[in-house]
Amino acid sequence: MSVEPPPTHVRVWDLPVRLFHWSIVLLIAVSWISADQGYMQIHLISGLTILALLLFRIAWGVLGSTTARFRDFLHPPGRIIGYLKGRDGNKWFAGHNPAGGLMVAALILILLTQVGTGLFANDGVRFRGPFALLVSEDTSTWLTEIHGLVFDLILLLIWCHIVAVGFYLLVKGHNLIAPMVTGKKRTEYVPPNSNLIFVRSYIALLLFAVSAGIAVWVMAQGGYAL
Amino acid sequence: MSSSGISGRLSAGAYFCSVALLTLAGFALAMFVRPAFGHSMLQWMGLESVPQAEARSFYATRVSSLFETHCTSCHGEKRQKAGLRLDSYAALLRGSKHGAVIRPGDARNSELFIRINLPASDSRAMPPSGKTPLTPDDVTIIRLWIAQGASGVRRTIPGAPQPVPEVKIPEDAPALTEKLRAPLAAQVRRIQMEHPGILSYQSRNSAWLEVNASLQGAAFGDAQLQALAPLRARIVQVDISGTSVTDASAPFLAGMPALEVLRLGGSRITSAALAALERSNSLRSLTIGDIETSEDTLAPLRKKHIVIHGGADVR
Repeated sequence: MSVEPPPTHVRVWDLPVRLFHWSIVLLIAVSWISADQGYMQIHLISGLTILALLLFRIAWGVLGSTTARFRDFLHPPGRIIGYLKGRDGNKWFAGHNPAGGLMVAALILILLTQVGTGLFANDGVRFRGPFALLVSEDTSTWLTEIHGLVFDLILLLIWCHIVAVGFYLLVKGHNLIAPMVTGKKRTEYVPPNSNLIFVRSYIALLLFAVSAGIAVWVMAQGGYAL
Repeated sequence: MSSSGISGRLSAGAYFCSVALLTLAGFALAMFVRPAFGHSMLQWMGLESVPQAEARSFYATRVSSLFETHCTSCHGEKRQKAGLRLDSYAALLRGSKHGAVIRPGDARNSELFIRINLPASDSRAMPPSGKTPLTPDDVTIIRLWIAQGASGVRRTIPGAPQPVPEVKIPEDAPALTEKLRAPLAAQVRRIQMEHPGILSYQSRNSAWLEVNASLQGAAFGDAQLQALAPLRARIVQVDISGTSVTDASAPFLAGMPALEVLRLGGSRITSAALAALERSNSLRSLTIGDIETSEDTLAPLRKKHIVIHGGADVR
């Protein structure tokens, strides 16, 4: 009778979370370059795709798999500070650690702000966000300025995120990037009693379809069509 | 790809020193690929002087106003499309996030000139459609300024179209006009009632008076003219052509302190009375019509820079 060796890796991230993460990476780059080069139609589509992804991620944070849920990674400030001060010792988390959870929440909020201001923004020449005509030109111009300032904040958060991931990789020897690609972590870095539940991907697909529908509706309000 | 397994190879101190160095290198790279950002940073740190244009330079007097009118709503203090500001000489030289927009001495290859010179149908044309376009003279001014070095000091550029003089139309100031007319208003009204049509104000905003008795014919004589005596300080023009005014009124006319234009043709004034007009210090134009006179009589008037019209037989 042969005994199977214990598994070396355990699944922690579902496909929707991973797709969300890397799609956001790609779309922020597309949005940046398209705005920079004046390709505003592409900027509009990438921005509204980010909106659809954010709406999906919020829904998935409530209805999704264990590690995707807000209640799994949002912690009170005291716990986050304690984690950053090392009070959790060598404790591992299946999903986001308290600091990482804060980063996720911050990025979702800041991206929502960015998309929200973008809906009312204008480029002063030919392009207007889908809701720009619902406000006065001064308000639209003001929100355009906020849109630019918030982007600097996004760059700062991305810088913090990359520095933190690099710290885990190069100082603590803990690779956070690979699990976000494969979905799996080495067993020793996952608490044994995690009891992770994974929601089926077709639920995610349904939620994303609804989110995308909202984004298309927003687009249509500005007279734009796919 | 392994989910972990890379043992810690750097101390926290070494890692954060590396991060700081990489961040500084990133900034340096951004300053290099985005010269406008680079110049802003260097100027902010005091490592680069901020170029200033002189107040009387060609840039300040002719070029900046064009940018102000056509460009700064998108490239100014409130909004900086493509990272470009055109509301100051320093910002203009700094350029956009894509680099310099002007090449001093080379207008044809300056991005700013290329953009303002594109046909309106081109999506890259500036100002974009819907905004007030630059006139050909405006484009020439910018082209010559860049071609001559885009100086912030130089005051003139040879060949630049001359500025169109600004015509200032005086504002309607009824209260002020009323105040100026008030002292003589009663006499003016009285004469206008007695001799309808001969007396009027020079314009809607003026308190100066004009007398035109030419349609009165022989009914207007010395007595009627001299009845205007209370108003003489305010009369700037008198037309007594065809009236029965005689030489006896010449001293009266010469004594009008504001009289600039006098038309005598067809009246009963003769050459003998013209000499009396030499006393006038305000007269600028004299129409003598068919009065027979001589150059000797007119010479003193011409000497006083009075322009004389007519003269049937000037000997």
